[in-house]
Amino acid sequence: MKYFQPYSVEEAIEIAHASESTFLAGGTDLVLHMRTGKAQPSGLIDLGKIPVLREIKEVDGFIEIGSMATFAELGNSELVAQNAYALWQACQSMGSPQIRNQATLGGNLGNCSPAADGLPPLLALGAEVHLISQEGEEFVPLSTLLSRTPLFGQDTLIRGFRIPINSWQSGFAKLGKRRALAIARLSVAVAVEINGTRVENVRVALGAVGRRAFLSESLGRELSGLDLNGAWLEKGILEVQQIVREALGARASAPYKRVAVSGVFREALASIITEGGTQA
Amino acid sequence: MIEIKLVVNDKPYTLEVEPSERLIDALRNRLGLLGTKEGCGEGECGACTVIMDGKTVNSCLVLAAQANGSVITSIEGVGNRRSPHPVQKAFVEVGAVQCGFCTPGMVLSAKNLLDKNSKPSNEEIGIAMSGNLCRCTGYDKILRAVKIAAEEGKE
Repeated sequence: MKYFQPYSVEEAIEIAHASESTFLAGGTDLVLHMRTGKAQPSGLIDLGKIPVLREIKEVDGFIEIGSMATFAELGNSELVAQNAYALWQACQSMGSPQIRNQATLGGNLGNCSPAADGLPPLLALGAEVHLISQEGEEFVPLSTLLSRTPLFGQDTLIRGFRIPINSWQSGFAKLGKRRALAIARLSVAVAVEINGTRVENVRVALGAVGRRAFLSESLGRELSGLDLNGAWLEKGILEVQQIVREALGARASAPYKRVAVSGVFREALASIITEGGTQA
Repeated sequence: MIEIKLVVNDKPYTLEVEPSERLIDALRNRLGLLGTKEGCGEGECGACTVIMDGKTVNSCLVLAAQANGSVITSIEGVGNRRSPHPVQKAFVEVGAVQCGFCTPGMVLSAKNLLDKNSKPSNEEIGIAMSGNLCRCTGYDKILRAVKIAAEEGKE
């Protein structure tokens, strides 16, 4: 197996184009998959020595996050805490301190586990993915990208993400078998645009419900344009249960997750609406 | 084979490693540093924790090649029998060690916390130690030992 350690994005995509190699981000999934035989790359392109991929910064009304920013770096970022609260919350609880120090947001998308903690918040926050290859670069909404199989070609690099900075509020919650080190059994991210007492727009994304994290368009529609109160919360719970029922069908976990999602949904909204139905 | 340069416990090394070789294998097999333990081998238990460039990582999930250019501290670089690190001293005093297999990783997570935050709250200690599993002690004595080490450091 070949091993490349490029120092620039240009060099990395050139190597990817010229070889059949796989990009290596933090490695917390890929190193394990190589060991179990699930992944058998002919070469690795280690992205760890490209400083520009680690940046988290504000540019023209967006938060730009390099694909190699770690969960720990995102979880320590004031910019992320202020403008992408759901993502910030997800970064506090993913894996363990050791995993958060190594695992990256780009790797989370590249591996695209059904339970990937980073994806529901990015979906709810309306994130776009910055892809780059020798053919050029593009920004693709994450929700669009996740409907493609495969997500992109072998020689395409996840350059980073951008999240619009706006007045939306967001939150994230997940259910694991224990508090630390547990893979999410179910995760919910919600973003809402509130105008006075009215919920103008809503985006709800679910993780570990089906093959990949997804944004529920019908939930967004049903919950938008209503007053934020206890009735709204109850309606949201009924709707989200319906979505889980449809997504999981006859899977063994369906009866459990259908009920559990109501609590996880409520928790994801805890920073936005109180138990009593008033704004938090 | 690829050549990597790294500093382990203040000593510089140049090593020839396989591309798929993990950091834990390079530490144990090439440098003979057997204090780093492999528990689960899949990043769940934290027994293989080392400090890489000031951050704790699971050395079973990091390739040796990824550590090229890094500064690593393994348990051998923390203290010794004659002059134990305050965390090690507290572990012994409190009885936070039973079978001992998780201890090197526990000590490194605790040391890294105290290096950054000399007055951690109980909650901060809990979070810092949450990536290290112990199947003997029930954690109470481990957390108490970290608290004591933090208090001794303050004096």
